[in-house]
Amino acid sequence: MNEFILILPTLIVLVGALVLMLLSMYEKISTKTNIVATSLFLVLALVFSLINISSSYSVQAYEGFLHNVLTFDSFSNFFNTILILGTLLTVLIGESYFRNRDYFKGEFFSLILFALFGMMILTQSNELITAFIALEIASFAVYIMVGFNQDNSKRIEALFKYLVLGAFVGAFFLLGLVLVYGAVVSTSFTDIKVYIDNASVNDLVLVYIGLTLILFTFLFKIAAFPFQSWLLDVYQGAPMIVTAFMASTFKISIFAFFLRLIIDTISPIFDFWDGLLTIVVLVTLVIGTWLAITQEKVKRMLAASSIVHTGYILMAFVALTYENTQIANIDVSHSIMFYLLAYMLAALGSFGLISQINSKSVIRVTFSDFNGLAKQRPFYALMLTIFLLSLAGIPGTIGFIGKLYVFTETIKAGYILIAILAIIATIISIYYYFRLIAAMYFYDAKDECEIQNFNEKNISNYAVAFIAIATVIGGIGSAIIFFIPTLSIDTITNLTNIAIQSLFIK
Amino acid sequence: MNQLILSFIIFLPAIVALGLMITTKEVKTVRNISFVTTTVVLALALKLFMDYEANSSMQFVVNTPWIESYGINYYLGLDGFSLTILMMIAILIPSSYLFLWEKENKSYFINMLLVQTGVTGALLSLDIVLFYFFWELMLIPIFLMIGMYGSGDKVATTLKVTIYTMAGSLFMLLAIFYLGMSYFNEFGSWSFAYNDLAKITSLDSSTKMWLFLAFLFAFAIKIPLFPVHTWIMATYKNAPTGAVFILSSIMAKLGIYAVIRFLIPIFPEEVALYSTELVAVGIFGMIYFGVAALTQEDVKRMFAYSSASHLSFIAAGVFSLTSYGLNGALYLIMAHAIATGALFLLVGNIQDQTGTKKIKELGGIAKKAPILTFIFAIMLFSNVGLPGTSGFVSEFLIIFGVFQFNIYLGIIAALSVIIGASYMLWMFQRAILQDRDESLGELKMKDLKIKEILALTPWIVLIFVMGFFPDIFTNIYEPTVSSYLQNILQIGATK
Repeated sequence: MNEFILILPTLIVLVGALVLMLLSMYEKISTKTNIVATSLFLVLALVFSLINISSSYSVQAYEGFLHNVLTFDSFSNFFNTILILGTLLTVLIGESYFRNRDYFKGEFFSLILFALFGMMILTQSNELITAFIALEIASFAVYIMVGFNQDNSKRIEALFKYLVLGAFVGAFFLLGLVLVYGAVVSTSFTDIKVYIDNASVNDLVLVYIGLTLILFTFLFKIAAFPFQSWLLDVYQGAPMIVTAFMASTFKISIFAFFLRLIIDTISPIFDFWDGLLTIVVLVTLVIGTWLAITQEKVKRMLAASSIVHTGYILMAFVALTYENTQIANIDVSHSIMFYLLAYMLAALGSFGLISQINSKSVIRVTFSDFNGLAKQRPFYALMLTIFLLSLAGIPGTIGFIGKLYVFTETIKAGYILIAILAIIATIISIYYYFRLIAAMYFYDAKDECEIQNFNEKNISNYAVAFIAIATVIGGIGSAIIFFIPTLSIDTITNLTNIAIQSLFIK
Repeated sequence: MNQLILSFIIFLPAIVALGLMITTKEVKTVRNISFVTTTVVLALALKLFMDYEANSSMQFVVNTPWIESYGINYYLGLDGFSLTILMMIAILIPSSYLFLWEKENKSYFINMLLVQTGVTGALLSLDIVLFYFFWELMLIPIFLMIGMYGSGDKVATTLKVTIYTMAGSLFMLLAIFYLGMSYFNEFGSWSFAYNDLAKITSLDSSTKMWLFLAFLFAFAIKIPLFPVHTWIMATYKNAPTGAVFILSSIMAKLGIYAVIRFLIPIFPEEVALYSTELVAVGIFGMIYFGVAALTQEDVKRMFAYSSASHLSFIAAGVFSLTSYGLNGALYLIMAHAIATGALFLLVGNIQDQTGTKKIKELGGIAKKAPILTFIFAIMLFSNVGLPGTSGFVSEFLIIFGVFQFNIYLGIIAALSVIIGASYMLWMFQRAILQDRDESLGELKMKDLKIKEILALTPWIVLIFVMGFFPDIFTNIYEPTVSSYLQNILQIGATK
C-alpha cells in the first residue's frame, strides 16, 4: 500500500492549519472565505481517509523519518474519519453562528484544524511522549477556542478553569510517563507490552502507578468522576459551537487513544483497574444524572448529560476482560466505538442546533426560553427532538442501537448491577430530555423570544438536517426500510470490527 | 405481495404522516389523506383476513436480518392472536378518525397515524428487539398528543405517563439483553426471536424469576394491572379524547397481547407457578377498580376505572391458562375495545359540547340527544355484559375459564360482574336519562352528526354480530389457542 496515501489526511489537516494561520494575518479575508477554505481542506482529508476505511492494515509509515512514533492502521483511520467528519460538521453547523459574531476571525479556523491535527496524531501515536504532545496540541487549541467568546463575561472563568486544571492534570500524564519509563526504559507501546508480558508482579509496581496517573488525565479529559467539576462552567463559558466540538469530537479522540492503549498495550493488566473504574462509573452516572436534573439552562443540562454518557461508555470499558493472552470479549470495543459515533451525532446535532437557534439575535438559554419553538420553527423543533430522543436512547434513533450494544456487552461481561444503575440513569434521563421536548411543543412562546428574519436556507441548516437524517438512519438501518437501500447498521459494526482487528496485526 | 403486505400495513401510516408533515399545512387535506390512509390499511387488513388460513401456524412471515451482528431480525408474522387484534385496530382507527373529524388540528391526525404504525408494528413483531422498537415508538406520539391537546396539568401528566411506562419497558429491555446473552452462551449465536428465546434452558430459577418480573412489570404497567396503575387517572382525565381512546382501546390491549405472545411462551413455568396469584391479582383489580368507579363523580374518570377493571378481568382470563379463559380474553379484547372506545369517544363529545363531565352537572341528555343516548346505551349494555352483546359472550367465557381454574376465584369473578353493572347503569341513569336539575340552566347540546353516527355504526353491528354469532370469530383464533396451550403449556385443549 502506498504509504503516502496513509499519511495524507493528517498532512492535509496540518497544511490547512498552517495555511489558515498565515491567511489570518489578512484582515480582509471574510469569515465566509475562511469557512469555505477550512471545509475544503476537511473534505479533502475526509476523502483520503475514506479510501482506506474498509481495508485492514497496520503500517508504520516512513520508519526512518518518523521513528515508529506513529502507527497508521485501520483503527486510527476509523477514528480519524469520524474526527474529520465531526470537525467538518462543526464548521458547517457553525457557519451562521460564526458569521453573526465578529470575534470569529481567521485564527479560529486555524485553531480548529490544529486541534483536529492534534487529535489525529493522538489516535495514531504509538508511544507515550508523542501521545502527550498530541494531546497538548489539541488541548491548547481547545483552551483558546474556549476563550473566544468576547460577549460572554464567563469566558475568563471558563478559560482559566480549563487551562489551569488541564495543565495540572497534564502533569500527571507526564509523571506517569516518567514512572513507566523508569520501569520499561522505553515509552513505545510495543516495548511496554513486551515488558508487561514478561514482568513479575514486583516489577510492575511502577507501571501500575504510572498508568494510574495517566488514567487520571484520561478521566479528566472525558470529565468522569472525580474530575467532572470543571465541565459545567467550561461548557457554559465556551461559545456554543466550541462546546459542541468539545463534547463530541474532542472527547472521541481521547477515548480512541485509551482504547488503543488498553486493547493493544496494557490488556494483560487492565483488569487491575476494574474496581476503581466501577466506582468511577457508578459515581459518574449518579453525579451526572443529579447535575442534569437540577439545571435550568439547556446548555448546562446537555453538558451535564454528557457526563452521564461518559458513564455509559466507561461502563463498557469496565466490561473489557482479559483472558488467555488476549481481550476475551473484543465485541465490547465495537460497542464502544459504535456508541462514540452515535453520541457524536446526537451531541453535535443538539449543541449545534441550539447554537444555530442562538446565532440569531434572540438568545434562548433556559428551558422556558424554548417554549413554543415548535410553533415558530417546527423543523428546528423536530430536529432537536430527534437528537434528544437519540440521547435518551429511544428506538428509531442511533442512540438506541448504541445503548443496545453497550448494555448487551456489559451484561454479557457479567456487570449486571452497573447495567441496572445505568438503566435507572436512563429512566431519569427521559425526564430531562423530554422536559425540553415538552417545552418546545406544549407551551406558547414568550414574546421576547419571537424570532424574526430567520434565514431558512443556509448551510448550517442543511448540516443539521444531515445529522438528523443520519441519526434516524443509524437507528433504523436498511433492514426495516428494506425497499429503500441505505447504509445498514451492520456496515458500521463491520467497520469497527476491521478497525479493531488491525490492532492485532503485528 | 404477501411478503410485503405486513410491512405495508405497518409503515404506510408513518410514511404518509411524514409526507404530510413536510408538505402541507392545510388541516383538511391532512385529515382527508389520513382518513384515506387508514381505510387503505383496513382494506389491506381485510385482504389478510381473507387470505388467512385458520390453522395454528405463523403466516405471512418475513424474516430478514436487521442488525446481523446481534442476530436481530426484521421478523414479522401473523397468527390467530395477532389477526384478531389487527382487525380490531384496523376497524377502530378509521372510525375514530370519522368521529374526531372536526378536530381542527393537523398534528392531531399525524400523531394518530404514527401511533398506528407503532401499534401494528409491535403487534406483528416476532423478534423481541423489533417489538421493543415499536413498543417504545408508539409512546412518542401519545406524549405529544397529551402535551399539545390535553387539559389541566397536561405537561406534568404527559411526563408522568411517559416516564412511568418507559421505566417499565427499560427494565424489560435489560431482561431482553440478558435473555439474548443467555441464548448466545447456550447456543453460540445471537438471536432475539421469541421462539428461540423460549428454548433457553440454562437459566437458574431465581434469575428466570427476575427476568419474568421485569417483563411482567412492563406489561402490567401498560395494561394497567393493580398496583402499577397509578398513571392512568391523571392521564385519562387530562388527555384528549383521541389519546384516551388509543390508550384504553388499543395500547392497553397490546399489553395483554404481549403477555400472550412473549411472557407466557418464554416463561411458561413461572406463569404456571404463579398463575393463581396472577388470576387473583386480575380479579382483585377488577373489584378494586370497580369499587373505585362506583365512587366517581366524573364520567371520564369512571370510564377510566371501568376500563381498568375490565382489563384486569381480561388478564385474569389469560392467566387462568385455560382454553375458555384465553378465548374469552381475546373476545373481550375486541368487545372492550369497541364498547369502551366508543364510550370514551361519546364522553369526549359530551365534554366538548357541554364543557363538563361531572355526573351532577349533566342530566337531560336523553331528551336533547336521543341518538347519542341510544348508542351510549348499546355500548353500555355490551360493557356490562348483557346477553346478545359481545360483552356477554366474552365475560361468560372468562368466568367459565376462571371457574375451571379455581372454583372460588370463579365465584368471586362472577359476583364482581355485578359491580360493573351497578356503577354503569347508575351513572347512565343520573347523567343521561334523568331530567336536568333546573338550577343548572339550559343544557347546550346537539345530537350526533351524520359522520359520527356513521363512524359508530360498524361498531354497533359488530357488537350484535359478536353477541349472537360468536363462532364466526372464535373459529379464527381457536386453532391458535388450542395449539398454543398444547405446545407451550403442554395443557390439553379441553382443560
